[in-house]
Amino acid sequence: MPYIISVILNILTSGLPCCLLALGIFITYRLLDFADLTAEGSFLIGGSFAIALIRLQVDPFLATLVATIGGALCGYLTSVFYTKLRIPKLLSGIITMTLTASIAMLILGMTKNGSIFTNNVTLSSSDYTIYSVFYYGDPMYRPLIKTGIMLGIVVLVFIVIYFFFGTEYGMAIRATGMNEEMGRAQGINTKRASIIALVVSNALIGLSGAMFCQDLRSCDIKVSSGFLVVGLASILIGESIFGKRSFKNRLISIGLGAIVYFIIITVAIELGFPTQLKNLLYAILIAIALSIPLIKLLISNAKKKKESKQYA
Amino acid sequence: MLELVNVTKTFNISGNKEDERTALDHINLQIEPGEFVTIIGGNGSGKSTTLNIVAGSLIPDSGKILLNGRDITKIPEYKRAAYFGRVFQDPMKGTAGDMSVLENMEVAFLRGRNHSPIKWGFKEKDKKFFIEELKRFDLGLEDRLNQKVGVMSGGQRQALTLLMATMRNKPTIKMMRRDYILFSGLPEEEARKEFDSFYDEKKLVLDEKLKTASSKEEKQRYKNEFEETIRNKFDLTKQILLLDEHTAALDPKTAKKVLELTDKIVRENQMTTLMVTHNMKDALTYGDRLIMFHLGHIILDVKGEEKKKLAVDDLLKMFEEADKKAESK
Repeated sequence: MPYIISVILNILTSGLPCCLLALGIFITYRLLDFADLTAEGSFLIGGSFAIALIRLQVDPFLATLVATIGGALCGYLTSVFYTKLRIPKLLSGIITMTLTASIAMLILGMTKNGSIFTNNVTLSSSDYTIYSVFYYGDPMYRPLIKTGIMLGIVVLVFIVIYFFFGTEYGMAIRATGMNEEMGRAQGINTKRASIIALVVSNALIGLSGAMFCQDLRSCDIKVSSGFLVVGLASILIGESIFGKRSFKNRLISIGLGAIVYFIIITVAIELGFPTQLKNLLYAILIAIALSIPLIKLLISNAKKKKESKQYA
Repeated sequence: MLELVNVTKTFNISGNKEDERTALDHINLQIEPGEFVTIIGGNGSGKSTTLNIVAGSLIPDSGKILLNGRDITKIPEYKRAAYFGRVFQDPMKGTAGDMSVLENMEVAFLRGRNHSPIKWGFKEKDKKFFIEELKRFDLGLEDRLNQKVGVMSGGQRQALTLLMATMRNKPTIKMMRRDYILFSGLPEEEARKEFDSFYDEKKLVLDEKLKTASSKEEKQRYKNEFEETIRNKFDLTKQILLLDEHTAALDPKTAKKVLELTDKIVRENQMTTLMVTHNMKDALTYGDRLIMFHLGHIILDVKGEEKKKLAVDDLLKMFEEADKKAESK
């Protein structure tokens, strides 16, 4: 297979699971206005559930489903901290994120005899993931099959989410996120709306973690570190490049944003950026993405100046 | 009828006894259906607190709020919303800025209903109704239906909020049953029995009629009649409009327009309305009853001819007298 195609497939296999991650973060961060730090926790829970269950010979699709539910439970936990115990948003997320690290160790520990917890599990070559179940024919085409499956799942989830937020309840959640006071005045149970948004968001992130770790064929309790930034950067890059005119447009922007993000990372690394300094690259990217509106403003101001000079 | 019985509310943010501030001191108030009440008073007199307590954003320390004789004091704000339309002082608060005019109206139209997670939120048949409503009150938004509310001016947002606060989809029979059981002060079992027995009785009549009906139109007419009978008996509450200084943040010209619109909507729908304002002239011009608050007490309550005779100077005088009295204490 030509080099360029394998690079593209590499970008897609890392980028597609992150589309779901970014979508999950979008629901809390943008729609609900809730900076939800649970994300890295539910990503880890998703990954560890999927890998541990597959190692225990559970059907990979069932394992992925359980991983998604695991993510949803993380979201529910955060929402309980926030709505029932009245812990501030940021701290509610941090508490869940912190406790997921221990839970992930316990879950991964189930796969090893004689120890209760472990940091790292790798699948053996006989274990089937949701991708390898479909590996037929020439091994050369495997990355292609994998990408196809990922794309299928991602597109399906995006369509479901689009329709969910177009329903009566979805609309209520969006209104709540934008203006909680208005939500209550319009008869929306705003607490329940935030709970459901958090659950849906973290379910998606759990699924994303499960897809990502099955691609790696391993799970480490450090696997999720840095992914909150990846998700945020995807949203910001997507919105600033592809716009945020309507809800449909925003969803497409986020999906494409995650892909663009990985294109940038891959190009930087191909050009010789040391992989050990990846986090530095992530930080620079997010700073640039956040300042794009300012850059756009400066450019348009400069244009106006030029024009006014011409007419003067 | 809306009643406040012995309502008291004290604010105490710091927790110290000396910082306590009584916003409402054993307030008793009865508001007749269809009455348009304007409420005035100085800062901290309790006028906004009254509105918040009626709407359910604040819970009184003691006392009760009755709606048609039903105690609603403990019913949460979002459940009361079916009966109360609200417009806030801040134009940003009443609408969702990132949603379009139509979406905002749809959210308002669903007020008091269960939000279905399956049914598509935006319905084409509602759109026609929304456009008619926008035209009826001449909001000039008919051509900007898909525009985000966030880019509109404060006056336009406030006018839209007003319209949203006053329209509501007709309740379904299921909703009426739920609300009757919830709001009827009667014991739950009794309320349910009353509703169900009335419903069954009328349903039998309907079934008889449907058998004799010949055409589809006739059947539909009988069904509508049936629903109307149920509605007349159980949907007792016409909506109540709560306006909290809703023109205070607008420039004088826009404020006047929004006020005139308010008056028009209230008169056309014969809504019970509580309008808090700090503009005494507006309080005298609009409405058919005027209430003045001072330090948590009602010091003036006039209606009809008596209200018409009042002038701004009279009100100012009363303010000053009340202030003097409070100081001499």
